[in-house]
This record gives sequence, structure tokens and C-alpha cells, in this order.
Amino acid sequence: MGTTFRLAWRNIWRHPRRTILTIIAIGFGCALLVFSIGLQLGQYDLMIANSVKIFEGLVQVQKKGYLEDSKIRTSIPGVQKLADKIRTETGLTDVSARANGFALVSSETRTYGTMIIGVDPQYEDKVSIIPGLVKEGRYLSALDAQELVIGKSLAKNMKISLGDDVTIMGNGRDGSIAATILPVVGIFESGTKDLDRNVIEIPLGTFQDVFSMGDHGHSIVLYHRDANLVNRIQQNAQSLINDKEDLVVLRWDQLQPGLKEAIELDYSSGWFMYIVLVAIIVFSIMNTFLMSVMERTREFGILLALGYKAFNIGKLVMLEATLLTIVAVLIGTAIGVGVNYYFYVYGLTLTGMEEIANMYNMPSTITPQISFNSVFIGPAIIFIATIISALYPAMRIRLLEPVEAMRKI
Amino acid sequence: MLRYKRYMISFFLLLLLSMSHSAFAQPDARSIIQSSIDYYRDKSSYSVAEMVIHRPDWERTMKMKVWTQGVDKSLVRIIAPKKDIGNGTLVLGDDMWSYTPKINRVIKLPSSMSHQGWMGSDFSNNDVAKADDLVDKFTHTLVDTQKHEGMDLYIIESVPHEDAPVVWGKEIIKVREDLLMIEQEFYDQDNQLVKKLTSSDIKLMSGKLTVSTQRMQKADKPKEWTEFRLFEAEYAVTVPKNMFTLSNLRNPRR
Amino acid sequence: MNGLPLLFSLASRNLWRNHRRTLVILFAIILGVWAMIVMAAFMRGISDKMFHDGIQNLTSHIQIHESKYLDDPVINNSISVDSTFKEVIDNNPQIVKWTTRIRVPAVVASEQDTAGLTLVGINPETEAEMSFLKSSIIEGRYLTGVEDKGVIIGKKLAEKLETRVGKRIVLMSQDKANQVADRGFRIVGLFDAETDAMEKSVLFLSIDTAKSLLKVDEEISEIAIEISDINNADQIVKQLKKSFPELDIKPWYEIEPLLKMITDLYNSVGIIWHLIVFLAMGFGIINTLLMAVFERTHEFGLFQALGLKPAFILIQVWLEAIMLLVAGLLVGNLVSWLTVLATGDGIDMAKFAEGMQMAGMGNVIPFLIVSEDLIVANLVVIILGLLTGLYPAWRASRLVPADAITRV
Repeated sequence: MGTTFRLAWRNIWRHPRRTILTIIAIGFGCALLVFSIGLQLGQYDLMIANSVKIFEGLVQVQKKGYLEDSKIRTSIPGVQKLADKIRTETGLTDVSARANGFALVSSETRTYGTMIIGVDPQYEDKVSIIPGLVKEGRYLSALDAQELVIGKSLAKNMKISLGDDVTIMGNGRDGSIAATILPVVGIFESGTKDLDRNVIEIPLGTFQDVFSMGDHGHSIVLYHRDANLVNRIQQNAQSLINDKEDLVVLRWDQLQPGLKEAIELDYSSGWFMYIVLVAIIVFSIMNTFLMSVMERTREFGILLALGYKAFNIGKLVMLEATLLTIVAVLIGTAIGVGVNYYFYVYGLTLTGMEEIANMYNMPSTITPQISFNSVFIGPAIIFIATIISALYPAMRIRLLEPVEAMRKI
Repeated sequence: MLRYKRYMISFFLLLLLSMSHSAFAQPDARSIIQSSIDYYRDKSSYSVAEMVIHRPDWERTMKMKVWTQGVDKSLVRIIAPKKDIGNGTLVLGDDMWSYTPKINRVIKLPSSMSHQGWMGSDFSNNDVAKADDLVDKFTHTLVDTQKHEGMDLYIIESVPHEDAPVVWGKEIIKVREDLLMIEQEFYDQDNQLVKKLTSSDIKLMSGKLTVSTQRMQKADKPKEWTEFRLFEAEYAVTVPKNMFTLSNLRNPRR
Repeated sequence: MNGLPLLFSLASRNLWRNHRRTLVILFAIILGVWAMIVMAAFMRGISDKMFHDGIQNLTSHIQIHESKYLDDPVINNSISVDSTFKEVIDNNPQIVKWTTRIRVPAVVASEQDTAGLTLVGINPETEAEMSFLKSSIIEGRYLTGVEDKGVIIGKKLAEKLETRVGKRIVLMSQDKANQVADRGFRIVGLFDAETDAMEKSVLFLSIDTAKSLLKVDEEISEIAIEISDINNADQIVKQLKKSFPELDIKPWYEIEPLLKMITDLYNSVGIIWHLIVFLAMGFGIINTLLMAVFERTHEFGLFQALGLKPAFILIQVWLEAIMLLVAGLLVGNLVSWLTVLATGDGIDMAKFAEGMQMAGMGNVIPFLIVSEDLIVANLVVIILGLLTGLYPAWRASRLVPADAITRV
């Protein structure tokens, strides 16, 4: 075996320029795939992490049926206690309780029907970026403070500025009239039309008081920067609430189905390109293997005449191809990972991506993902494809007639 | 008694009038409806009532005082439970305002909320504010006459005008000879019943025969309904001039 | 250079000498060309679709409003279209189409549900040529004219309201005097739109009917304009601003900035893809040609010894490269064209329906071959191909006859 190995290795280097060009081709393909896939996956990770961080969170605990029909009575009892329990027992810090209600909201000149969200000022900034996007004034201060923050477009439409009073009138959980007047302490601008136009946030305690909620709420929001941990987080939360009545733990893709599909769409079209690329590279270099067999026809003819089995020659040829490919793949992957690592540390900015990035709620710097998927899949496919392409020339050896072969120049 | 007689007289006069014009001795559907509403609202009224909102898992009862004048002015003041004391609704023509002492503010209800339930009940804001739309915005036809407690019960089919701001396909209204509206059914445009207002417990209140219980029930949710029960009612009362004003809504004098 | 025909036939014969090898690299080139063109067509389809959908989604090329309208889109902030106005617009040769609209917020109610939406009063005739509506009617009919009293809503909205064509709904809005304006209207048609936003939240009726509902005579909310060359939007906006300084006049890219960005993005991504594909092919081409050259070292040495100038050798080898490329391009272009033809109207991405919604697109993406893209793809292949072919050709011409002949 050792001899075959050395032979194969030497054969490869008989035509250094050709071999190097082939290695470069395969290596280039690997590096490109590793970089692209890493970039794509990193992009999706960020897309998810940032989309969920706007408001919906990575995972939410809700009363069963609330997602389909958000009636105020479909509530979670003891919502803050439960949120605390999740915080302490899972170690996850980014957990916050909320309550929601629809109400008539009036300024001096306008009345609108919108959603009022009761939030926990202490923890809300860990699960949503809204607290950090208050452009005028400040965010809510305490659980029972008599304060309100409002989206920029809504404030504009209602002709409200900082310090103005907003009247809220709706129906409480027990059917009574829920009413209060709260001053605007902050105006936020998330860039997402849905939120800026429809959302008003008040402290959870105040909400529970005004809407006669008692200690009930409607959701507990969990967040984590690494979207890949979603299943584990879901299970953890699920185990803590198993003894409670009728609560469900929902993942981000159940809360925002469009996002997952947008990602799958992009990923699939990416793969179309990758496959095509691999095919091109393979055909590109197929000639190398083909030629390296064809030009040794005479040599192989002699070997055959000497009694060497065609099968073994085939094995030799395949070994050559394999060694060459392994070298190329290793180099290419290393380069790809290296580039990924560089951008992992420094971040990558694509020009022209910035405004579109806002549409998908991403910052304009992406960190490529360095994971099993991103590092192995591309090179693995190239490796397999290359070896398969080497099979054809290798198989042709069996067709060689020793005498005829020896006559070839 | 006197008032009652007056209505009956004007009704029969109308009947006579319509009879003289038609080959069949049929009363005019529109005038039946008009008279029924006039009878119900009277020139003015004061009543004390209770509204029960019933759901499969809870029930809520509110007690209130109601003043009306003509067909387009109403003031409601909640007097129980304690939480809701002082809440009020004022209807003037097509507009509805809501007041709550909790915040001492009056809010005008935007048209987008007109199909939402009033005070969380099964009566929509529209049902409360625009009851008188029934006469003018529909075409009424008497389709049948049945019997109810010994009296004639007129079954009237009311179809909204083409461009009337009414969502229903049609309504079936049952008015008794004595002008009491016994039932009002609301149908969608596929002739499916959507909700029904049923009257019961007819009794004399301040000398006038009155429907004292009305239940609004959605057809597809039998376990959910709202019932409106009258405790006392006075008719043709003198109502102070500023009763139906925003300032009164805010600062009750009575 | 009358040796040219000779070189040509030599080149083609040389290519066919090792037909397997030639075919393999040819296949790589065809695949590469196909990938470039088809991918470009796909991306062009997407960006073009997004662009046109956006423009047809009532954006048009230029929009004119009353100065306060965009901040507060109520009927009070409206424009009066009088004869001077019409004159200015009609006299501008670059303006091909224009239409007026009323666009205000409203609430619609059915027996079962209510929904907030935007009420758009249109001039059915002029609107038909400028936006998607007429061709998107899937049930019922379009509006017959300004006297039509019916309304058209999106299919999804009809589903939400549990209503249909032929049924009546109630529209509520605010009239000029800030009073409630409400009336019953019959649904005469349902439309299908690319985006949920349009299909769920917009209602169309005739502009005259809208005016009567809102109690206005001549006032309208917006004027939409289509011009002959969209690239002149800027210039025409300036012209219009001179004539109507008190009005708010905006070009399409200020109304929907995203449209421009997406088009730009796809252009740049396209070029990058071309280069990547070429690189992938490039190595193979060089390799193959080099191998072909070194195989014939002996031959070339002989040529040179016989007196053939190195330049001829260079050209001959280069010709081989060129012929290879040309053949690959021809077949590649043909196959691409056939592929696009085979996809018909486009590919259906229904599987990713909601994701497409997020991107603001409908489900079917057409493959669009634009001459620009074709030219770029072919140019890239030719230019880079010529360059890559140069290296082996040059090496061939540099062979020293003595060495070459003695080489085996």
C-alpha cells in the first residue's frame, strides 16, 4: 500500500503546473463555498436574531389560543412570578412579561383604536430593541409608573409631543371600563411601520391596574442572541410550565412564519448557484484527470502486459485524484475559514446593503458563521463531485487493450 | 293611560288612512315601525335598568339610569357596580361620546368603533346610537300577521336601501298590535341569521305597557348574550334643557 | 494575412483531435454561460418584477399632493384640479399619462367584521393604464366609469370580512367638515394583488362616487403621472415644481426608496456572479489549453523549425481558444434561451409564499432575458476567455525549436 501511495503522489507532481492549476480550481471552489455559506448562514442568524429582538422575541409563553384570538381574558395567571421562575431556573436572563389590550387612545385632537402593551421596564430592553430606540425623551422607569411611550408615526398622526397627555379608554379583563390618562415620556422610532404606527407601551403594573388584570398577563417573552438555541430554550421553558394549565411555548417561526420562509427561499436559491458552480468546476477539471490517464496509455499498456490488473491501475488513478483533491480541499477550506475568521472578528459590510438591511432588520455588518455546516458541507460536496468525475477516466482503463495501448505515443 | 290611548288613536287613524287606500285591509309596515319606535321612545323617558353580559365563564351586571328625548338624544349613567359608577354615554344624533370619572375625560367614539360592543356587551355602539335609522334607511313590507298573547303580531321584513350605511341583508321585525316590538332579527346578505333581539316580560310601567326585558343573542354563540332589564320607567318626563350636553355628561346634576 | 483560413482549419482540426477533451471543456463553458445567463435572467426577473410591481402599485413615476397631505392624508389636504393645471400637464410632451385620485383613510364594515383601510377613488379609464388594478380583477368586474357606484376590494379583505361580490358593505370616513361620512356600497369586483398590504387594506371606487361620499366638488388627494422616460423623473419634477411651487411633487424613488435600492443591489450582485462563474471556468480552460499545447510541443517545434513565425503559432493556439469559446457561447446562449422559454411565465415560488410576501413580491417570478444582461455575460466570457487563452498561446509561441523537437 505504501508503494502505491508514493507512486500516486509522484504521479501527481509529474506535471506540476497542471496539478497546481487543478488544485487552485478545486481550492478556489472550496474557499468560495465555505465563505459564501458561512456568510449566508451568518446573515440568517443575524436576520433572525435581529428580527426577533425587535419585539416578538425568540420564544414566547402564552395561554393556549391567544395567538389565534387575542382576547383579553385568554391570560396567564401570575405572569411575573412565572417570568421570574423562568429566569432563575433556566439561567436565561433575557426574559420579560407583557400584557396586551386594545383601547381607544385620544390626544387633544384625535382618537385612534390601537394596541396598548404593558411591559416590565426592568427587563423589556433585554427582549426588545424598542426601549433602546426612544429618540425623544426616555423609556419607562418603573413597574407602576404613570407613564407612556408611543411610536413616532402614531405620535405624529395624533399630533402628540413629549409631555402631552394621552387618554386611554378600553375594556378591562372583567368587562369594566378601563380608563386612564398618561403623559408621554418617550417617543420611539423602530423603523418598522407596524410598530411605529400601532404601538403604545405602558408599565405592566399600571396596565394590570387599569385593565383589572390582577396578576395576569398575556405573554412571557424570551430572547437569546443565538437563534440556533431556540429548540433548547423552548424545551427548558416547556418543562417549567408543564404543571400549569394550558400554557404553550411558541418559537419565533410560529410567531413570524414569513421570516422563516424568506430565509428558506434565499437559502434554496443560494444552493442552486452553488450546485451550478460545483458542476462548472468539476467539468473544468475533469480534463485534468482525463488527460492524466490518456497520456499514460502507453505506460498503462506496459503495466497491463506485465500482469498488473486493470483494477489496480484504476485504484492508482483514483488514489491520485483523491490525494490531489484532499490537498486542494484542505487548502481551500483553510483559506475559506481564514477569510471567515477575519470577518468574524472585523465584520463585513456590503455596500448598497445598508438600506435593504434595514428592511430585514439587520445591521450592515455581518459575521460569517463558522460551524460544522458552513465549513463542511461545501467542501464535502466538492470532494464527492470531484472524485466522481475522476471515476470516468479511471473506468476507461479497463477498456485498454495492452498491445494497442503500448503502441500509442 | 292617556298617553297610551293617544298612540293607539294615532295608530288607528293611520290604519284607517292606509285601509282606505288599499284593496287589502293591511296596515302600512313603515308606519307600524315608526309608531313602534315612537311608542318605545315616547316624547321623553327616564328609566332605571340593569344590563347583564353573560359568557360561558363569567357574567357581569351593570345598573344604570337612562334619559331619552325624542329618537336621537340619550344619556346613560352607570350607577353600579362601584367600579363603574359615574361612567356615562351620550348620544346626540349620529355621534356618541363616552365619559369615565376615572380620568374625567369625554371621548367621542370614532366611526371605526361603531361595530364594537357598547360597554363590552352584545349591543353594538351602532345598535345603541342609531336605532332610529330603522325607519328611514329601510324599505318595510308586511309579510305576515300572527298572534301573540291574543293580539295581532305583525311580521315585517325590512330591507336596507341600496346605499344605506347598514351592513345587514335584512331585518325581520315583529311588532304587536299594541305597538310593542317583540322581536328584531338581523340577517346577513345570505339570509343567515346573525343576531336576534328578543323582548319579554311585558308589564305596565307608569301606566304604559312596556317590554321590560330584552335579550341580544348572537346566532352562532348560544352561550353568550346580553340582557337589558328595566326596573322602572317614566314617560314624557320633563327633561332639563342641558341634560343632553357634554358638560352634563361630565358633571351630572342629577 | 492569407494564412488565416489555414490557421482556422488547423485550429478546428486540432480541437477535434482529442474530441473527448474538447467536449468536456466545451461542456464546462456551456454550463458556465448557461449559469451566467439564466442566473442573470432570474435575478433580473426578480428585480424587474419588484420594480414594476412597485410602480404599478399606485406609485407611478411622479406623484403630486397638497403640501400637508403626506403627513396627514385627510380630504381637507387636497388639490383643486383646474384648467390651468390641466394645461400645464397636457402641454408637457414628456408626460404620457396622468390620473387623479382621492386617497383617504376609512373603515369598512360587513355583517361579520370591520377593517381599517385606505379608500382610493379612481378614474377607471385613466387608472387602468397606469396601475395593476384592471388586470388583477379575479372575480366580478372592473369599474365601468366614473358614474359606477360599486367598489372593488382585495380578495383577502373579502375573506376577512366574510363577504363577496354582489354583497353590500358600509364605508365610513370623514368628510370635509370633519363629520362622519358613511354609506352602503355594493362590491362589484375582487382583485388579487402581489402584496398583502394592497390586498387587505385598499378599497377602490370611482372618484366621483368618492367625491359625493366625502362631500367635495373639485378637490382630489393626489395626481399620479407617468412619463416617457423614467430616467428623466428628476428633471420633470423640477419643471413641475416651477409651475406649482406650493404643491408637494415627488418622484418614484422618494415615494418608494426601496425600489431603487433593490434594482441597484441586483445589478451589483449580478456582476459578481458572472466573475465567479468565469473564474470557475477559467482554470479549466487554461488547464485544457495548456495540456493541448504541451502535447504538441513537438509539433510546434517542428513548425518553428520549418519557418513558421512564433506569432502565427500564438494566433493559431489563440484561435483554438476562441473557437472553443465561440462554440460554447453559441450553444450556451441557445440552451439558456430554451430554458427560459421552457419556464413560461416564470417559476412558481408558492412554497415560499409568505417569504415572498415579506420581500414584497408575488409568487411567480419570470425569467427575464434583457439584452443588457446578455451582452454583459457574453462579453465577460469573450474578454476573459481571450485573456486566458493568451497565456497558453504565448507559451506555445515561446518554445525554442531545438528543445521542442527533441522533447517527447
